[in-house]
Amino acid sequence: MSRTRFIFTSAFAIILFVGLSACRDKHEGPAFKPTPYPFEIPFAFPNKLNIPTDNPLTVEGVALGRYLFYDGRLSGRTHADSLMSCSSCHIQSNNFEAGIDHPVFQGGYVHGLSGKQTTHVVLPLVNLVWNSSGYGWNGFIFTNNPITGQRSIEDIVRISVMAEDEMMGDTTRVKALFQQTTGYPALFQAAFGSSNITFRNIERAIAQFVRTLVSADSRFDQYLRGEIQLNQGELNGYVLFTTEEGADCFHCHGGGGNPLFTTHLFYNNGKDTVFDQDIADRYHITGDPMHKGAYKAPTLRNISRGGPFMHDGRFKTLDEVIDFYSHQVRLSPQVDPLMHHVLKGGVQLTDQEKSDLKAFILSLQDNNFLNNPAYGRPEKFPDQ
Amino acid sequence: MAKKQVLWFLVALGIGLTACNDNQKESPATGSITIHIRHTVDGNPLITDSLMYTNEAGNHYLINEIQWFISDISLVADDGSNIALDADNSAYYVDTDIPESMRIQAGMPVPAGHYKGIAFTFGLDEANNISNRFVNPPESFMFWPEYLGGGYHYMKLNGKWINEDGLKAPFNFHLGTGQIYAGSDRDILFDFGASSQYLHCEGFHPPQNLSPVVAFVPNYFRVNLTGTDASLIDGGNLELIIEMQVENWFRTPNTYDHNVWGGSIMQQQDALKSASENGHDVFIVKPLN
Ligand code: HEC
Ligand code: HEC
Repeated sequence: MSRTRFIFTSAFAIILFVGLSACRDKHEGPAFKPTPYPFEIPFAFPNKLNIPTDNPLTVEGVALGRYLFYDGRLSGRTHADSLMSCSSCHIQSNNFEAGIDHPVFQGGYVHGLSGKQTTHVVLPLVNLVWNSSGYGWNGFIFTNNPITGQRSIEDIVRISVMAEDEMMGDTTRVKALFQQTTGYPALFQAAFGSSNITFRNIERAIAQFVRTLVSADSRFDQYLRGEIQLNQGELNGYVLFTTEEGADCFHCHGGGGNPLFTTHLFYNNGKDTVFDQDIADRYHITGDPMHKGAYKAPTLRNISRGGPFMHDGRFKTLDEVIDFYSHQVRLSPQVDPLMHHVLKGGVQLTDQEKSDLKAFILSLQDNNFLNNPAYGRPEKFPDQ
Repeated sequence: MAKKQVLWFLVALGIGLTACNDNQKESPATGSITIHIRHTVDGNPLITDSLMYTNEAGNHYLINEIQWFISDISLVADDGSNIALDADNSAYYVDTDIPESMRIQAGMPVPAGHYKGIAFTFGLDEANNISNRFVNPPESFMFWPEYLGGGYHYMKLNGKWINEDGLKAPFNFHLGTGQIYAGSDRDILFDFGASSQYLHCEGFHPPQNLSPVVAFVPNYFRVNLTGTDASLIDGGNLELIIEMQVENWFRTPNTYDHNVWGGSIMQQQDALKSASENGHDVFIVKPLN
């Protein structure tokens, strides 16, 4: 065989092979290769993430999840007054809570399309990828839950869509609606390899988006990273926050060594002495009578953007909360031992100390998070 | 010639294989070790959340949870030498609410032999007690505030006792780095330079009711337990129990009275000191049976 002929034959073989493979690809649809989402672990944050193995973060999945999170048609309806989505109650600028100044949900108390109010006030959607102990005020959603269907953020999506006090929707209608909506099938194809929309993939996309909501750039974070110095009031407040003889908040709400500013654990923080009103406290999950009146200690990041405070929203402002921890803590058999100032009624802060403590808590406000365009409402939806 | 080559090949192969065998024979006999952590009060397994205990000072008390670090564990051979069970600066977190945390599988193979004891650090020594070394929960939840010296709690033992007014008062028996505050009667023991005023963290000023921290005091201690009388055979797994006898935290040499120290001691070096002095007979070791 001459050299030229060899090259020719080889080239022919290669072309034939490529051609045939292309042909095969056409039969199976375009190759499905989602792009891994570049997730960065912020300084001093945990490197263990709560991401189910069957739903890794991908750029395409997160982008789709963001549309769905904000698209009022997630309720399965198209009438202007029956639209509802996650963003109806979880508003970015309000720390993904409804916020006390909400035009519809007065005082921040949310209700579903049926008009039924939720059992508790809204929780923020902040740094949830680091929560492995349980979602919800009482932690009813957790990884090893024997009740299947209450294990992950994916499950929360389905619960929110169906619940009477939320979207009161029908999963079959929801997926059919998005199937008919121009643009969405192609996004599902890119994210999950199939343009045939399943409700499971709706859950997966939204959960991916929620897991990307990371707040790690407050003034305090910048201080921890050595980039800025806090002012004197904030520093005094930091000392108060992290000392037992000060305000004594750190055992439950974190600090420099736990920059999540929550343990995601459940405590009775001494608000009441009888717990008959507590129809969905931690006790309802564990059955342990010592857990009556216990709820999750929420993160204090961006806290002043949210509210009302505590599971039942009993405090309207951060000042009221600080006053409570100072002077109104009440003794019960269930009060957590970490509330060890309870016999004095609280940590007894002076006015100056209260304002320093507040200054520190406000240094946990992360404006880059509250305004991050990647977390915000898309300018246009896929069919626009 | 071909035959010769084959022969040489076989010879080489033979040498290779034997060498390999020899190597295996020469490698030291080793086994592994599993440590089971137990917590007892007055000789019985700890029962949490039940007001059933009385300490040396006469305080009636209950225990809600115990969380602590055990670090730099080593076996003590009959000749007194220490065999580390892990690489340097290894630490294990133990939590009465997390059963898996009470079973420690040491990381390195241990030479077979007879061991008369075990040694470990209660808490974390200076090299181990570095802020932000544990970023993941539950270890990260043990952080000890920067202002109080940083690093981690050695132990959180939370409970309640019946105080002098007959009320169930919470106590947080939290051990870790202690502080010396300016103006306390002990500061004359130290020679303070002007720069030590805020040695904990530049910019920090103490709240009104606190004077500045002028020095930190580590309160961890090394525990040496003899009498294991344990033999580890080649390929075997030695299982030992390390038991924390909780009542002894409050017993000797210092009678620890919650009515004296109150509910919180992270900022009371005198309390931390008497607690860590009491630590000397808190732990015992026994074989798993
Ligand atoms: C009608 C208002 C409403 C809507 C709509 C809504 N939520 Fe929520 N969300 C809440 C309330 C109230 C809670 C607190 C529930 C509880 O624990 O009692 C909550 C809790 C959560 C939590 C748990 C947070 C934590 O820290 O444990 C997640 C996650 C969440 N919602 C995600 C979503 C997603 C995703 C959607 C859209 C599919 C959605 N929510 C729609 C009101 C709403
Ligand atoms: C024993 C643990 C514990 C301690 C100590 C503690 N908290 Fe809390 N905190 C909680 C729990 C639990 C909740 C939620 C309680 C509920 O909803 O009923 C909470 C709620 C809050 C909230 C409202 C959060 C929201 O989203 O509604 C704020 C603000 C707050 N705490 C601030 C503080 C401050 C400031 C301190 C120190 C003065 C402090 N906490 C000390 C456990 C604790």
